[in-house]
Amino acid sequence: MSKADAFIQAGKTAVLQNIQGTLQFLQRFPPFNQMEHAHLAYLVEQCQLRFYGQGESIIKPADGPVEHFYIVKQGRVVGERPHTAKGGTETTFEITTGECFPLAALLGERATRTEHLAGEDTFCLQLNKLAFIKLFALSGTFRDFALRGVSSLLDQVNQQVQQKAVETLGTQYSLNTRLGELAMRHPVTCSPATPLREAVKLMHEQQVGSIVAVDEHKAPLGIFTLRDLRHVVAEGVGDFSEPLERHMTHSPFYLSPDHSAFDAAIAMTERHIAHVCLVKDQRLCGVVSERDLFSLQRVDLVHLARTIRSAQRVEQLVNLRGEIGQLVERMLAHGASSTQITHIITLLNDHTVCRVIELTLAEKGDPGVPFSWLCFGSEGRREQTLHTDQDNGILFDARDAAHAAEIRGKLLPIAQQINHSLALCGFTLCKGNIMAGNPQLCLSRAEWARRFAAFIREATPENLLGSSIYFDLRVVWGDEQSCEQLRRGILDQVGDNRLFQRMMAENALRNRPPVGRFREFVLARKNGEKATLDLKTQGLTPFVDGARLLALANGIDANNTLERFRQLVDKEVIERLDGAAYEEAYHFIQQTRMQQHQIQTRENLPYSNRVDPDSLNHLDRRILRESLRQAQRLQSSLTLRYQL
Amino acid sequence: MSLFSWLRPAGPALSSEQQQRLANLPAIPELSECSLREQRWVVLDLETTGLNLNKDRVLSIGAVVIEDGAIDFSQQFERTLQCRELKLSPSVLLHGLGPSAIAAGSEPAEALLDFMEFVGDSPVLAFHAPFDQHMLGRALKEHLGYKLQQVFLDVADIAPLVCPQAHIREAGLDDWIDWFRLEVFERHNASADALATAELALILFSKARGQQIHSPLNLQQRLSQWKRRQQAPSF
Repeated sequence: MSKADAFIQAGKTAVLQNIQGTLQFLQRFPPFNQMEHAHLAYLVEQCQLRFYGQGESIIKPADGPVEHFYIVKQGRVVGERPHTAKGGTETTFEITTGECFPLAALLGERATRTEHLAGEDTFCLQLNKLAFIKLFALSGTFRDFALRGVSSLLDQVNQQVQQKAVETLGTQYSLNTRLGELAMRHPVTCSPATPLREAVKLMHEQQVGSIVAVDEHKAPLGIFTLRDLRHVVAEGVGDFSEPLERHMTHSPFYLSPDHSAFDAAIAMTERHIAHVCLVKDQRLCGVVSERDLFSLQRVDLVHLARTIRSAQRVEQLVNLRGEIGQLVERMLAHGASSTQITHIITLLNDHTVCRVIELTLAEKGDPGVPFSWLCFGSEGRREQTLHTDQDNGILFDARDAAHAAEIRGKLLPIAQQINHSLALCGFTLCKGNIMAGNPQLCLSRAEWARRFAAFIREATPENLLGSSIYFDLRVVWGDEQSCEQLRRGILDQVGDNRLFQRMMAENALRNRPPVGRFREFVLARKNGEKATLDLKTQGLTPFVDGARLLALANGIDANNTLERFRQLVDKEVIERLDGAAYEEAYHFIQQTRMQQHQIQTRENLPYSNRVDPDSLNHLDRRILRESLRQAQRLQSSLTLRYQL
Repeated sequence: MSLFSWLRPAGPALSSEQQQRLANLPAIPELSECSLREQRWVVLDLETTGLNLNKDRVLSIGAVVIEDGAIDFSQQFERTLQCRELKLSPSVLLHGLGPSAIAAGSEPAEALLDFMEFVGDSPVLAFHAPFDQHMLGRALKEHLGYKLQQVFLDVADIAPLVCPQAHIREAGLDDWIDWFRLEVFERHNASADALATAELALILFSKARGQQIHSPLNLQQRLSQWKRRQQAPSF
């Protein structure tokens, strides 16, 4: 930059100083940090900055339809609603620096239902409705946030997750590698005037997927890739003596050799390109291709699955468990969602179970009776994490009670052996003895059917608990038809039994999500230990229970919680927006839980579902709070539906 | 008249268009009885070559507007004035004042006219307002042959008036910012100082209303009473 240019630059930024300052302030907070600069600048330029002394009303229901959008710049805004039961008012929410309001009222073109007051001396940026609408139209990020609220921030959390995973993986697998180290080969270059034919010939000789046109100083002018070649051929240009510059991509995207492989991967994904030029001091010094990045990723799911299926001894399977753990970590690093990961864990666990059964049968000899290996609970719902209990059983066909007892006698020793081997492979033995080796869980179809019917008919607490485990059944190994018939039976009976549904609904309200009125979590404090919340029982269980009830009551045969929500939406049992919100919330809590497990594994701590919210960063904490609120909403919708 | 005045090109030679604009500037009314919120205010901060009232010159003007009781981000003013005596050097960059001529290209007469049009007939708020008033007045006279008539109120006086419990002696802008725990952005130039002063003013107006000061005129009267009290010898 010349001196004159520097002055011009400084002059421009100086002129925009106040706008710039506000921009920088907003860029500390989502969703503003995700918005395009121009859109954010528009927002700021249209803003007014307003001061409210403590206790001053900002907007209230009597003001009529909301005319402004507010962002708290400094201070605290509290929501106060008249208290229906006790009279007076109650604080329903608090909004602090960087947060905004009142989106729902603004979008619904109505008055706010809650009076917003300054909880302390507060400055708010105020955007008028017209500018809000314009911004809403301009910025996809902003629109997304306005419509979906905090849940739209999840993408950002996912990025954080990736980042963290990358940090802990070490350089061997990580995308942290400097691009300079990655691009070992000399880039293939030519002048822009080179005939197309010659350029392609060069690429062919050098066995590369791209060629870069450079000027006499080696500055990149354009890039031509195999994909471009495909275009040229497909368009039937046919004249390969034309200069390369007519077909290349001009001013190609570039990074410096000091950028990381992660940067390149992000750039490729964002820009839909497969090659990134590396430029140092305005000279081309390398090209990194998509393939270079993926060769880093030594994750091979298919390979792992195949190894499990061909393991010759149980000990081999035990060793492979460690690899599943590493796989999960790498998957997180490569941006997999918690749903993808739980699916993959379930898949690999299924393979392990199948292989254990096959090995056991080979060792003990085939009993000569066909049977199906069932799983229940989270395994049945395909929602397993790495740390999982055994919840399994056996289903077989028998002519009558005597025949069933005879078969059971043959299968039980095998089942116990399988339970034992699975325990070696890391599937903890079930404390409640819900295992196939237990005579009560090695049943014929008629016996299972009778048992399930009893659950539905006599809704005792034990039976309700039983239904919440067994009704998520699924076949892991063996014939699936008998299980299908069992499931149909359950659906028919539950669908007809309103009383049972009501009991299940009550049961689904047992686990209350720990969010209180004052923005904070309601935390259990055990024997002076730090206050924590249980992500599984207080976070996930409300969703799982709610989805199960609604699915069973509406004849939906899916087991997976998210799949249940999707089908409930399709059947119009729940609103599409609600379904999406539940899905995201569930997803986030699960993701947080898995991260906790990863950290615990790394630090050799016993695994636990309890988390201290203070250990989460600001964004995670805020989203966790919102996610738990969704669980609360689901529960109150059940209260309404079943008039509890 | 300066001895060297003959060295400069003769006086403020204004174009006819500039003269027209000057003629169109509004007359300045007395402060009114309207509410503090209804009054449009211009909050000003000047950057000068130094603190000498007679020798130093205005380098840049930063101003924001308080209208309808809020700082309106769509009305902001920032100009750096061309200044022949000032050498363009990298050290100037530190103050953010160097790029004047090239970036904004502001001929002082043009910049000052723009500013006076921006101000209109609104009263002006500034921290240590007499300084800004004097410096701006001198610049207007020199470059436009124009007399500054706007009412200036000093935020440095309003603050202790409405906030007597503060007991900060000789408080500067930074002291008041700390006192009110105002979170301001980084301040490097006139414009950012003007914004900080305006934010302070919003708080002070809110306090003033609490003390039954409702109109700009009211505020002006209370200020002069307060100042008389301050200057009166205390026996």
